[in-house]
Amino acid sequence: MAALLLSPTLLVLGLVVGYPLLAAFRESLYRGGDALDADGFMVSGDRFVGLDNYTEALGSRFWTAFGNTSFFTFTTVAIEVVVGTAMALVMHKVIRGRGLVRASILVPWAIPTAVSGLLWRWIFQSDGVANEVLATDLLWTSDRWAAKIAVIIADTWKTAPFVGLLVLAGLQLIPNEVNEAARLDGAGAWQRLWRVTLPLVKPALLVAVLFRLLDALRMFDLPFVLVGPQKGSVETLSMLAWSEANQVRYGPAAAYSVILFLYVVVIAFVFVKMLGADLLGDKRKKGASA
Amino acid sequence: MRRAWKPWGALAWLSGILFVLPVLWMVLTSFHTESDAATNPPSLFAGLSLQGYEEFFGASTGQSPWPPLINSVSASVGSTVLVLLLAIPAAYALSIRPVKKTSDVLFFFLTTKMLPVVAGLLPIYLIAQYSGLLDNISFLVVLYTSMNLPIAVWLMRSFLAEIPKEMLEAAALDGAGLVTTLRRVVAPVAVPGIAATALICFIFSWNELLFARVLTGVVAGTAPVFLTGFVTSQGLFLAKMCAAATIVSLPVLVAGFAAQDKLVQGLSLGAVK
Repeated sequence: MAALLLSPTLLVLGLVVGYPLLAAFRESLYRGGDALDADGFMVSGDRFVGLDNYTEALGSRFWTAFGNTSFFTFTTVAIEVVVGTAMALVMHKVIRGRGLVRASILVPWAIPTAVSGLLWRWIFQSDGVANEVLATDLLWTSDRWAAKIAVIIADTWKTAPFVGLLVLAGLQLIPNEVNEAARLDGAGAWQRLWRVTLPLVKPALLVAVLFRLLDALRMFDLPFVLVGPQKGSVETLSMLAWSEANQVRYGPAAAYSVILFLYVVVIAFVFVKMLGADLLGDKRKKGASA
Repeated sequence: MRRAWKPWGALAWLSGILFVLPVLWMVLTSFHTESDAATNPPSLFAGLSLQGYEEFFGASTGQSPWPPLINSVSASVGSTVLVLLLAIPAAYALSIRPVKKTSDVLFFFLTTKMLPVVAGLLPIYLIAQYSGLLDNISFLVVLYTSMNLPIAVWLMRSFLAEIPKEMLEAAALDGAGLVTTLRRVVAPVAVPGIAATALICFIFSWNELLFARVLTGVVAGTAPVFLTGFVTSQGLFLAKMCAAATIVSLPVLVAGFAAQDKLVQGLSLGAVK
């Protein structure tokens, strides 16, 4: 019975998620288009090229994109965790108008990235608000580091609220008595935060970080809209794969995708192994008791 | 204690305002005339006008915004309905009548989130090309369904876990079959959870850009695709651009505001439990 209820979902996921992965792997071993064979004759169609796509993929453009992807992932997730947690702690204290504050903080997360990318593009224009406020004359989208910083700021704006909401939900599960008891034992505000609140909110925080890591590693649309395609300063692996596929170079595009997939799996695996005692421990318990 | 939360309240409001400010600015600009919008520094207090919206909807640009908006609605609503049809039974199986290896199944759902969208992009593009579904909205519906399915199952499972076991046992004693149990016992309790899940799926599909960009063209292009294309042709007309961006954001903003506490509850239940 249960299997009957589950199977449509598993079938759809297997077809639409499992199959493309296998197909991408297969595609990465082939190369399409016309080429000359050893005798100088034209051959067209897909040719099996083994790991050639991979060895050729590992050029300087790949390493730049790989560096950007890693840099964006680790900086944005770190900043978002700090900002998001701070926001959650502050929101938790608010009693009046919490709903409205929460709703307004939800706005950046909810609006389409196509829109927020545009918004930040206007802000970072050479005669835009950012330069006005900072009294600078930066070319945000063409200067290497300014472009990176612009992407980080925009991404933080968009997703720190998401982290904040998850942490806030975790905070609301902590009984008031725990904090009260720590206070009576003479723990200062700072000590209470580090010794009581944060450890208790850790499971929620870890889930938020895991979800953010998985998303940030696959970052595509924000730099794409904010800065544009094929800009070395902000090109991520997803953007690189997209631009290769866009030029009908399917083999290399698939190779980049497979490399990115493996990278995400490794990061997720390491994360779950290192910090996941709470994460998986909780889940196991739930699974067993459910 | 009573006095202590006041600075926190101010701080929370300040950060709230800071986060909405760019969006408010966009909405304000959309109601200005082109010439007021173009001034630098921006003329905040200029008279309001519907010029931007009139030009946007009047298709003075040569492209009517209606087809992409309708495409977005059909893709988002269609996929959300499909997700619910698939996810509710699956979540029911996992929470109320747990199968063996429930946690394994749940972990499998999580791993599908590790797949980079772009890794699936190419094979999916080729499938679409092969089956003649390129630039066809029904293909996007299927894609968005599978994209949102894992998270929907996670969310629904945590909502369904709230249903008291006794109610189900009582239903079983009364001889209710699966369909009756689902309809009479589970559905009423689970409806708020279903609403939250539906909203989240709707927002994710409405906002999706990568698949839509690659798999659609003039016929099935969605609103975000239209918007990015609009930038290239109309980027200089700030008021018109802001009007376009506001219209494209409006459905998710309305959905989000209408159900913000449900939404937060949904997001947090899915993650924390």
